[in-house]
Formats: sequence, structure tokens, C-alpha cells
Amino acid sequence: MSLLIALRRLAHVRLGELSRRTTAVTLSSGARLSGLRSFTVGTQALRSDKVTFHFINRDGEKITVKGSPGDTLLDIVINEDLDFDGFGACEGTLACSTCHLIFDEEVYKKLGRVTDEEMDMLDLAYGLTETSRLGCQICLTKSLEGMVARVPDSVTDIRQSKDESA
Amino acid sequence: MAILNSFTTACLKNIPGNALNKHLFFTLRAFYNSQSRSVLGISEERAISPPIGLERTTVKNLKEMPGPSALANFIEFFWRDGFSRIHEIQLEHSKKYGKIFKSRFGPQLVVSIADRDLVAQVLRSESAAPQRGNMDSWKEYRDLRGRSTGLISAEGEDWLRMRSVLRQLIMRPRDVAVFSDDVNAVVDDLIKRICVLRSQESDGATVLNVNDLYFNYAMEAVAAILYECRLGCLENEVPQETQEYISALHLMFSSFKTTMYAGAIPKWLRTIIPKPWEEFCLSWDGLFKFSLIHVNKRFEEIKTQLERGDEVKGGLLTHMLVTKQMSLEDIYANVTEMLLAGVDTTSFTLSWATYMLALHPHIQQQIFTEVTNTLGPEKVATANDVQHLPLIRGLVKETLRLFPVLPGNGRVTQDDLILGGYFIPKGTQLALCHYSTSLDDENFTEALDFRPDRWLRKDTSDHVDNFGSIPFGYGIRSCIGRRIAELEMHLLLTRLIQKFHIGLSPLTDEVKAKTHGLLCPGAPINLQFIDREIQT
Ligand code: HEM
Ligand code: FES
Repeated sequence: MSLLIALRRLAHVRLGELSRRTTAVTLSSGARLSGLRSFTVGTQALRSDKVTFHFINRDGEKITVKGSPGDTLLDIVINEDLDFDGFGACEGTLACSTCHLIFDEEVYKKLGRVTDEEMDMLDLAYGLTETSRLGCQICLTKSLEGMVARVPDSVTDIRQSKDESA
Repeated sequence: MAILNSFTTACLKNIPGNALNKHLFFTLRAFYNSQSRSVLGISEERAISPPIGLERTTVKNLKEMPGPSALANFIEFFWRDGFSRIHEIQLEHSKKYGKIFKSRFGPQLVVSIADRDLVAQVLRSESAAPQRGNMDSWKEYRDLRGRSTGLISAEGEDWLRMRSVLRQLIMRPRDVAVFSDDVNAVVDDLIKRICVLRSQESDGATVLNVNDLYFNYAMEAVAAILYECRLGCLENEVPQETQEYISALHLMFSSFKTTMYAGAIPKWLRTIIPKPWEEFCLSWDGLFKFSLIHVNKRFEEIKTQLERGDEVKGGLLTHMLVTKQMSLEDIYANVTEMLLAGVDTTSFTLSWATYMLALHPHIQQQIFTEVTNTLGPEKVATANDVQHLPLIRGLVKETLRLFPVLPGNGRVTQDDLILGGYFIPKGTQLALCHYSTSLDDENFTEALDFRPDRWLRKDTSDHVDNFGSIPFGYGIRSCIGRRIAELEMHLLLTRLIQKFHIGLSPLTDEVKAKTHGLLCPGAPINLQFIDREIQT
């Protein structure tokens, strides 16, 4: 069991890099695979280009990190090795909604369009709010400098409070 | 270094402080009301053991769970051919025994869950590599022939490794959107084929047994994406080679469902009843052969191109062959299993969707209006247009709610769990009763009605708890072909509605669903395709 989790984490780290490369490559017939290896996005950004972002974890602690514009919030959680249990299980492929984040209203408005597919997955997120989004679908931009996202309670925490009130 | 770090923290975190595993601990915490959370927080991973007395009185065990007797179940399934009515039995049993009940199939105990919230609980607390059910017979075949397991049959680390590669290629909507043109080329062929087929009928409008047509469509579309080639399934003169494959595949798909139970027959019985296992192996031989031919063909092409110093261009298969993130055997196994999972599922859903449109002309007209207002009479939709066609998305969701291709799914619990007040030990086979939850009035008002517009949203904050209908599953082991299937269905249905008025042929009686491995139409669906007049 622990081995599997560790493996998943390993895969995470490796795939964080991989996904940045492969998403840049169009896979339609006619795409040029020769371009594959030379492609990197966002990794060479200068220090000064970085955007400061804050997460509030499940214990209410504020964690401050820096990320490059273009990275998704999930990329940052992985790159910075932030320990939010179970976060981002499907590695940003819109299959799980475990990368659920909650924002203040003003921040929420700046986050850009929600796709239908994201909305469908949000429907299945735990503890959904009106200002919820999926972290793997939000790309960091300069306009998000200094913004905060809260990691909602995990499945087990919520299950507890629900049972308590019952 | 970073990798090592996360490796060790992951390991450390999972060293249990006592014999009680973490999951059970967290679920038991629910019954531990008197303790304040902060106290629990301090000693979370360690010292606290569950209050034994409390556990005994609140948590029931499996023996206390209601359900049909083993004998009743045996008669229902083997005598009264329950296998074709699994979806109905699921409904009956959940009405009779409640939202959680147990059944016995020979030595196999199955705990069925017919409740939206309990299904959500199971899927949300999944571990890193969820298991659907026992895949021993699939693995045995692969060992016998020296083949690999694909996503459906692989487990544990093997599964995770392949899933990690494949999901980065075909799970994100934007990665799949680039196949729009390939899929639209197949839609073109399907429209032509409809025109030929209906001209052969006396009314000049009817296409008999539309599922055959959609089967060929789904196969052609999946092949265009997976094999990067066209098979010619929709041509008037289907190439001989492809014709053989299609019949072989038809045979395989149909015999496959019966031989699925081959795995249920114990090995020692095979000498007495050898047929199911033999057919099971033959089916797989055929499926693998088909994939091998196409993968090898592409592989050779790539090799020649490389030898000549040409640039290698291509799609999914090329990418897999060139990047070598998976071995050749892994690629064979995965395209084989994807082809198996991707054809019937899509064609049944298309059959039901067009059948429903024919039964509900008023709704069809509504969707037609949406499509023509958005696209006009001629424009061919691509993936990007689908966001402006909410009723097309609603049509697919509503069809899959009423006719979930997988009426039930499985999970083997990987930790002890408390579900609906019962203690479920690790290793228990669960059946998630999607058919029941989809048709439950508590989850969907007037659940038996066909209403694609129930899925429309007023705005982006308009959310519904829809765990009641998750036709592709949820989470890390959910359908990997979901976005491909959606693309195929959205683009085809949009075009059909744009071009034709779809009506019911007088030759079609009421068609009920039956389970044949998957939920499928119990009788041929014959439909009329009448040209829409183009208004200029
Ligand atoms: C209407 C169409 C389809 C429906 C309703 C459907 C539904 C499902 C469901 C319910 C599962 C089980 C998920 C779980 O256990 O949580 C599944 C698994 C799977 N499906 Fe689909 N599917 C469809 C089309 C496709 C297509 C087109 C492909 C291939 C391109 C495909 C490939 C797979 C594979 C490989 C798995 C196993 C995934 C794994 O275990 O990691 N499916 N599908
Ligand atoms: S990581 Fe799974 S949906 Fe975002």
C-alpha cells in the first residue's frame, strides 16, 4: 500500500515534467514528432517572472510559494511538493476533482472561463462552493500575484462532520 | 533529490502507528463523537484505538446485512436467465433489500450498493490503484500466450504505470479535440452510408438495425484514432480484409460476452467442460491478431521513414511507438483492450440516443433548433463548437442516464471500510448499482422521463450533485476513452440532427434494454432518416 502511494508520487514528479512537454505537442495526424524533445514550456522562466501564490491547507496554515506563469495550480502543488493528501489524483486529466480549491469571490472572478468538462467534474467535488474551481484547470498569470486558494476539507473530514450532525 | 524526498515522506506517512489501518481509523473516527478534533489531531496516526464497545453496537457486520439467499440467487440467474436482466434484478433487489445488500454467486460474495452517497463514498476514498474485480482469467490467457495486460486487465503498479502514460495522451479534452477532423471524416462516410442504405428500402427512408451501422462507425472512428488508419467499415464495398475483421470482431464481441463467464468456471472443470475456456482464448487470439497487424504495419512504416532519414509524423500510435514509454507488448495489449472497450459501448449509446430522438419528436425539434441557430444548416461542428451546444451534451448525458452501458460496475475494497453502517472487510467485491441510482426519483425528478434539458445550467455556479449518474465512472480508474467517446458521439449526433429528421420505422416495436455483458437494445432498432429541407 505505502509502496503504491510512493510510486504514485514518483510518477507524479516525473509526469509533471512530461505533461508539460507532451501537451505542447499536438497529437493530430500531421503533428511533427521531431519537435517533441526540444519542447519545454515555462521551465526557463526567470526568477523575477515568478508569481507569488498562497495556499491555505486543511489545518488553516498559509503556505506561500512561487510559480511560473503558465503553470497550473496543480503543477505548483507538485513542484513545491506540497503535502495535501490525495490532491490531484488523476494528474490534471479531468477525471477526479481531487484538485478542488476554493477562492474568495474577487479572486474567483479573475480565474477565467470554466469549461463544461470542468463543471461536470466540479459537480462531483466534495464540499462544493459557489467559488470552487479545479486546481489543474487554472493557469497562473501575473494577475494572480499574491492571491490565495483554500484546500477544502478532505473526504474523511467532511464525512465526520456530516455524521456528527446526523 | 526531490524525488527521494517525496518517496521517503510518503513511506514515513504510511507507517501505521498501530495495527489499525489508516482508512478504518478515519472512518471509525466518525463514531467517535465525544472526542474533540484537536485531541484527535495531535495523535492522529498513532495512539488512538477505536472504542471497541461503541464499534460493536453501532457498526453491523456482514452477517446482519439483508439480501437474497444463495439458492434464490442461483435460481434467478441460472434458471431464469437472470444474466440478461441483471439491470432489472438490480432494481428489484434494491427496492426489496435497501440501498446496501449482499448476494452470493457460488463462493463469491458481492455487496451491492444502490445509493448515490455510498457510491460517492467508495469512489472518493479509493487508493492509488483501484481494482474492479477478479481478472485472473484475463491474466491467465495473457500468460499462456506471452502477452501483456492492458488497462482493463492490469492491476497495481503495472496498471498505474500504463495509466500514467495513456492518460497524458487521451484523457484531457483538449488533447482529444485535435481528432475532430479525423472523426468528422468518419461521420461523412456514415452519412453517405445512410443514404445508400435507405435507398435500398421500399420507403426510401429506413435504415434497418441502426446498431450495425453505429458499430461500424465506432470501429472506424476508434481505429482512425488508435491505429491511425482507415479500415473501410463504412464503404459500400468493404475491403475483403476488413470484412473478415468485422465479422471476426462481431463474432468475438458476441461470443466474448458469453465466454466472459469462462473465468467463473473453476480450472478443474475445464477438462469436463472445455468449450468456454477455448472460445475465450480464441476470441482473444483474434482480437490480438487484429491489433498486431495494425500496430506492426505502422511500426514498419516508421522504421522505413527513419532509415530514409524522413521526418516521422503521426498521431497517437506513432507517439507511443516513437517515445517508447511503453513496450511494444504493452502497446499491443492496450490498443486491443481499448478497441474492445470502445466499440460496443459507443454504438449502443448512439442507438439509444437516436431511438429516443425518434420517440420524442418535440425534443428532437428543440435540439435541431439549437444546432441550426448555432451552426446554420451546413457548418460542420468540431470539438470547439460543442460548448455552444448544451442540448447535444444533455442528449448524451440523458441517454447514458437512462441506458448506462455499464449498468453496474465493480470494486474490490483495498482497505477495511464502514459503508452504510456495515463493516466491510478489505478484499470484498462491491457492485456499484449505477442503473438503480440513475433511475432513482430521489436523484432525478421524474427519473423515467427522457429530458435532455435537465442537464442545462443556468450559469457556471449552477451545480447538481450528480453522483447518481456517472456512466464513465469517477476517479483515477474511470473510463480512459471517455473524451474520445464523447467526441465521437457529439460530432455524429450533431450532424445527424442537422441533416435528418429521425423517425421511428413502423417495423420497430417497443425496444427494451437487455444485459448482454453490457446494457444493449433487446431488439433491432429500425429508424427513418428523412432529409431536412435546407432553408436559405
Ligand atoms: C459511451 C461510451 C463508453 C462508456 C459509457 C464507457 C464506460 C466505461 C466505464 C463505466 C468504465 C469503468 C470505469 C470504472 O471502473 O470506474 C470504463 C473503462 C474503460 N474504458 Fe470506457 N466507456 C466508453 C467508451 C470507451 C472508449 C471509446 C474507449 C477507448 C478508446 C474506452 C476504453 C476504456 C478502458 C481502456 C477502460 C479501463 C480503464 C482502466 O481500468 O484504467 N471506453 N468505460
Ligand atoms: S487532478 Fe484530477 S481533475 Fe484535476
